[in-house]
Amino acid sequence: MFGLPGQGMHLHLDALSLLFGCILLPQVVAAAVAGMRASVAFWVFVLGMALALLAGDQFTLIFGFELMSAASWLLVLQGDRKPATLYAGIAIFSGACLIPALFLPASSLAFVLIALGAGAKAGLAPLHSWLPRAHPAPPAGVSALMSGGMVKVALYVLIRYAFINLASAQQPWWGEALVAAGALSVLIGALRAVLEVELKTALACSTVEHVGLIAVGLGLALYAKASGDAALAGVALQAALLCAVAHGLFKPLLFIGAGEVKHATGTTSLNWLGGLMRGMPRLGALMLLGLVGMGALPLGPGFAPEFLLFHAVIGAAATGGILARIGFSALLAVLGIGAALALAAAVRIIGLGFLGRPRSLHAAAAEDLRRGPLVAMVLLGALNVPVALVPGLLLQLMSPVILLLAPQAHTLPLTYAPLTLLILAGFAALAAGFVQTRWGVRGLQEAPAWNGGFGRPPAWLPFGDPHTQVSATGFAEPVMRVMGKGLLGVSKTDPAERFLFVPLFRVQTRLVRLAERVRRATIRERLAFVFTVLVVFLLVLGLGEGG
Amino acid sequence: MSLTFSLAHLMGGIILLCAFLQLSQRRLAAMITLYQLEALILSVAALWQGYAQHEMALYLTGLITFALKAVLLPWGLREIVLRFNMVRAVETAMPMALSMILGLALIGVAVLVVLPTTMRSISLTREDLAIALSVVLLGLLLMIVRRNALAQIIGFLSMENGLVLAAVGMPGMPFVAEFSVALLVLLAFLVVGVFLLRIREHFDTLDLSGLEEIERRGR
Repeated sequence: MFGLPGQGMHLHLDALSLLFGCILLPQVVAAAVAGMRASVAFWVFVLGMALALLAGDQFTLIFGFELMSAASWLLVLQGDRKPATLYAGIAIFSGACLIPALFLPASSLAFVLIALGAGAKAGLAPLHSWLPRAHPAPPAGVSALMSGGMVKVALYVLIRYAFINLASAQQPWWGEALVAAGALSVLIGALRAVLEVELKTALACSTVEHVGLIAVGLGLALYAKASGDAALAGVALQAALLCAVAHGLFKPLLFIGAGEVKHATGTTSLNWLGGLMRGMPRLGALMLLGLVGMGALPLGPGFAPEFLLFHAVIGAAATGGILARIGFSALLAVLGIGAALALAAAVRIIGLGFLGRPRSLHAAAAEDLRRGPLVAMVLLGALNVPVALVPGLLLQLMSPVILLLAPQAHTLPLTYAPLTLLILAGFAALAAGFVQTRWGVRGLQEAPAWNGGFGRPPAWLPFGDPHTQVSATGFAEPVMRVMGKGLLGVSKTDPAERFLFVPLFRVQTRLVRLAERVRRATIRERLAFVFTVLVVFLLVLGLGEGG
Repeated sequence: MSLTFSLAHLMGGIILLCAFLQLSQRRLAAMITLYQLEALILSVAALWQGYAQHEMALYLTGLITFALKAVLLPWGLREIVLRFNMVRAVETAMPMALSMILGLALIGVAVLVVLPTTMRSISLTREDLAIALSVVLLGLLLMIVRRNALAQIIGFLSMENGLVLAAVGMPGMPFVAEFSVALLVLLAFLVVGVFLLRIREHFDTLDLSGLEEIERRGR
């Protein structure tokens, strides 16, 4: 085919690309089943991702990466124009960072460029604020693949270069920088996931959080690798990779579900939903499964990676100098806050979107899943189960990848065994049921239902006055007061936007004004400009020759 | 040999002086007279170079320069001044002292550039080249500091004189180039004359600041 002159394009498959291919495959199948089959741009998008994962040389990698960016830009453009422009800007920035970085010799500069380019594409803070705008814009299947797959491809590039290709020039501060960016992403992503009213936007913010978790794990592994801590490197890599696998399963599930919510009710604003569990029980159950993963509840798919990550951070906090200890202890606190906020976000989505009373007629009249999305969601949900119940087995399967990334890493068996836990809990429940049937009170007893504090709705309001329920904004208000005002400011905008995009816009406005001024220049001014340039050129020439 | 270059330098100096003095003149009539003098000296310089280099083409250049620039163009310019009733027109765009200081600086730049960069070439034409570059730069400066369209044209013509001066001073410059430049200048003069008529019809003045104002508002 084509490629760099004299080199061509090469494909190469190793354990790492295989792992990320396995992460990608179910999402692609699910998104295609969910209704993206007919779109050419979608398949180009998939092709780009596959090419980037299987690339054997730099050109193929960047070609696949940019193909992925361009196709996903087209798909975002189908949804909305403004986020697409923002997304194109970020994609160009990321390409501009990656292209020189891939061809640089192994050095810190190359790592910084890779981290900027891949980090911007993955939505790593402080370059994350495009993600909650761009990911919700396209149709649900594409959102799912962007959030679950594209982000992983960017992380794959980061992993491949930071751990393998640039390994000879490794510095400890690489890991620290990655951990810092990841911690920032966790905090801001989780906080915004609690505050956002739109379902898809909240899910995208949660993606930022999970990318942050993966980055923290990768950063810890890099740090441990550079400082020669074999056990820590192993645990941190296990955490990061398992998190990538889990996130690649439950996030597409949630996005496809959100698309179905939009299809059934015409909105994804949590303030207009409610009570969907009644009209859409199957969707509700599948969403619940995904949200258990997103909130990292025990026995869910998201718990094992967080568990490992906390272990890794605790391990890191117990070694090293006093500054490292303080830093990793603070990181532990940040991750704790992030986990709590993620749980709050998951509870908020299920509680306000699917439980309670409908807040609009559309929500009340919602019909259950169509066939395609149902199949897609069931597929993803079924794949979630092994991740949730036998993570130890998965980690064993992943050990070649970990050895590829950090040859000296020790991988310990996982101490958390959810399957055993589940069986024990089942026995306990059986015993309780037996006790209840054997010694419990027989017969019926009538008692007024508590019903969560609600009375029966009045007859003239068939599903109750929506405003008597807590709204999504109201639910988030305590979090907003405690943390949001401090972190996001009064205007509730993302700090990355305030400190990155607003100054950029200002610079752009100034440049536009300057261009306009040049365009309006009179003939004399233009002549004077050319004349000045000529004189300066002559002066430089004369001084250069004379001196 | 030395007389050749001395005379050539003298005439180049006079041309430079004329170009420089144009900067200091507020009246159009005086500028045209200076331009005429400049063109006259230029034609003499071309004839002298033709004699010195034994080159028939340079005689021809001198004659064309004389006929076109020393007679025809000044006459046309004076006609325009008379027809547009601009005999008393006074230029106000930039203080004369400032423009003359700028002109001096430009001559300095030209000398600074030409003398070191042409160190390796024929030594005696270097001063000629420096003078020619100064005349070109002064003509450009004149075009910029003046607001009156006619003054700008005079600046343009003066600049072209500098080019011709450089061309005649260099042995081996083909005649065709000079001839075509002269023809181009004549054409440009005709075109600009038509433009001036149109501008005059529309704005009742040749002061381009009004045009600039309209341009600024219109866009």
